[in-house]
Amino acid sequence: MAHITINQYLQQVLEAIENRDGSFCAELMSFKHPHVANPRLQLSSPEEKCQQVLEPPYDEMVAAHLRCTFAVSNHDFVEAYRCQTVVVQYPSLPTSCVIAGLSAFQAHKEENWALPVMFAVALDLRVFANNAERQLQKGKGKQGDMLEKAAEQLMSCFRVCASDNRAGIDDSKKWGMLFLINQLFKIYFKINKLHLCKPLIRAIDSSNLKDDYSMAQRVTYKYYVGRKAMFDSDFKPAEEYLSFAFHHCHRSSQRNKRLVLIYLLPVKMLLGHMPTHQLLRKYDLLQFSDVTKAVSEGNLLLLNEALAKHETFFIRCGIFLILEKLKIITYRNLFKKVYQLLKTHQLPLDAFLVSLKMMQVDEVDIDEVQCMLANLIYMGHIKGYISHQHQKLVVSKQNPFPSLSSVS
Amino acid sequence: MSRKANYRIGSHSRKRGGGGQGRGREWRQEQYEEEQNRAEESEPRGTCMSMCPLREVREREVQKLLHRFEILPGTEGERMPKADPSRTVKEYSRPAAGKDSTRPSDLRPPSVLFKTVGFLIDDIAASPSLQPWTEVYDFVFDRLRCVRQDMVIQRVSGPEAAAVLERVVRFLLYASYRLCEEPLRLYDPRINDTHLQESLSWLLDCYSTGEHRHQEEFQALSLLYNLGSAHALQRALELPERARASPAVRLALAVNRAHLERNPVRVLRLARRLDFLQSCAAHRHLGPCRRDLLLLYSHGHSGRNCRFPLQRLARLLALDAAPAARLCRAHGVLVNGDWVVFAKASYAEPPPGDLRSTRSPELVDKKRGDASLSAVIHGCA
Repeated sequence: MAHITINQYLQQVLEAIENRDGSFCAELMSFKHPHVANPRLQLSSPEEKCQQVLEPPYDEMVAAHLRCTFAVSNHDFVEAYRCQTVVVQYPSLPTSCVIAGLSAFQAHKEENWALPVMFAVALDLRVFANNAERQLQKGKGKQGDMLEKAAEQLMSCFRVCASDNRAGIDDSKKWGMLFLINQLFKIYFKINKLHLCKPLIRAIDSSNLKDDYSMAQRVTYKYYVGRKAMFDSDFKPAEEYLSFAFHHCHRSSQRNKRLVLIYLLPVKMLLGHMPTHQLLRKYDLLQFSDVTKAVSEGNLLLLNEALAKHETFFIRCGIFLILEKLKIITYRNLFKKVYQLLKTHQLPLDAFLVSLKMMQVDEVDIDEVQCMLANLIYMGHIKGYISHQHQKLVVSKQNPFPSLSSVS
Repeated sequence: MSRKANYRIGSHSRKRGGGGQGRGREWRQEQYEEEQNRAEESEPRGTCMSMCPLREVREREVQKLLHRFEILPGTEGERMPKADPSRTVKEYSRPAAGKDSTRPSDLRPPSVLFKTVGFLIDDIAASPSLQPWTEVYDFVFDRLRCVRQDMVIQRVSGPEAAAVLERVVRFLLYASYRLCEEPLRLYDPRINDTHLQESLSWLLDCYSTGEHRHQEEFQALSLLYNLGSAHALQRALELPERARASPAVRLALAVNRAHLERNPVRVLRLARRLDFLQSCAAHRHLGPCRRDLLLLYSHGHSGRNCRFPLQRLARLLALDAAPAARLCRAHGVLVNGDWVVFAKASYAEPPPGDLRSTRSPELVDKKRGDASLSAVIHGCA
């Protein structure tokens, strides 16, 4: 396979198309397949050859793919990206092709055998956009431009799939929606345009296929939706989505499970569930170890240290801010200790101030203590009230510090 | 070119095309070449050396569309008032189909744009004789918008763009505070906000390459203006260590942390340390912050026979006693002489119409000192 001639290759493509063999055709168009490394196929102008063997418009699609292999072999990803944009136009088979008189596509109108081809070329498009961007950045050019254009193109594929209402469910191109959405999510997260995810989520929510897509696609989808919910501070749904992704992720994909955990852990912690040391070790996430310890002990000093120590990692993952939110839980745990030490229901505010000073919280005074306590009472973490005249926190005789999981 | 001409570009190319396949291909090829040409054409470079192209001056004279700030003194009463060329500035006009906005003679090069901005700040915005200021704002807002448009068309970037955008952002920030009490028909905070965000994010993009003197100042302003925005915070966290360590950014981050921990007492306390422009940026969050403080205290201090001294509460809110009492009452919090009585059940959000923003002498105006408006907007206060 690796060193077949151009004619042999084109014959295989022709066969795959005639047999409507989507997955084989996808292989022949994918950069995951070894044929792309075959120098006999890396041609700068394969148009004529393609026209001889293949019917339009497949000839143009395959020609663009071969030009793309040529560009990649030259490490020219900007050119590769441009070729790939041409390739991607075909497999989504818009009905407009029919209007344009491209008869070969007429048959595709109510068919979806080419979906695997679309998946393969859409994936490559995103990868090339990424690489092209990196190549351009060395020179001049605005960040995100290439990826944004790639997203636009994937979006037009998506529209074709989403609006395929005529075909029966088995032949529907709607089966392509979730894959494209996942590719779009990857881009939107990369270029920091999370708000663009919303209409896509709505499209899946209202789809009757949403539970029938392949598990791999559903896991990826839940991973991104979970991250999105986390950034919107919707922690309950975030926990639900990310837990789904973690539990259904294929057991051999340890790397992916680890990625899910990076977001699931902080969300769980905010909701009062601390991870075990074993789990952290198993997934090589010991960066969280001190954070976990600090939060459960109410040790602000250690928390600040741990956050500072792994700052780069946490910022890169985009979870630094969520972890900072753990401070509120840490205050709660610290104040609970004060309560346990003093063994009374009328706690002098001064005691809390002392505990904070011990933790080297700078510039804190009694007014801020009152504000922190008021916040904890408001959130339901403390049952009681503050008496300003007596400078005391009066806590309930029953369960003054309700368990974290019951509160949030 | 001949090889490239075989490419298909542009998804819309498929939507048209009438008859045979051959014709479709031809049409696509034309499309492609056209796009190629457009891309190869470099961006237009302006040649207009005055603040307003002569063509527009004449046009607006004839159509009597000169703003009163632009009219040559002494000709106001005439049937067709004349333009004062030293005070006429190109006005913003919406891009429209069939209108060519790229004529070099209508575009001002970066140096002229910079001078134009200087004129708008020193001779219009800061002029004590031009009144009312809402009209001054409308005029400057519109002309600055046009300055930005000229920059976009010419793809001005780097330090030249930054110098202009820095002043645009400072002006819009200042205006957002100065006009916050104006009725909606004279000043729309949403429109100001849209343009401010647009200019600010463009400016921060300019900073992403090379060294810039005012970068920290504007990173801090962005953090304060967008207090509580995860996006702005994440962006600031990704700054190089050196920028994050600057006093302005550190203070702005501290304010954000306090907000993240939902500690309005600390937010308002740190707000006292902000300088004038930073305070203008943070001002729109002070109201909600005070409201949050009352909400939290209503829950936290809700015990029988509990009361809180009004004076102390006023200090926490950074208000005088009288406005503090008014704010309490507006939120259902009982004020009894010098004492405030918080109760969980009685806290109430006032109807949205009553949530008008008010100026804060204590937290904002006081900090301006005797800096002139020009100095504030040029960044040399």
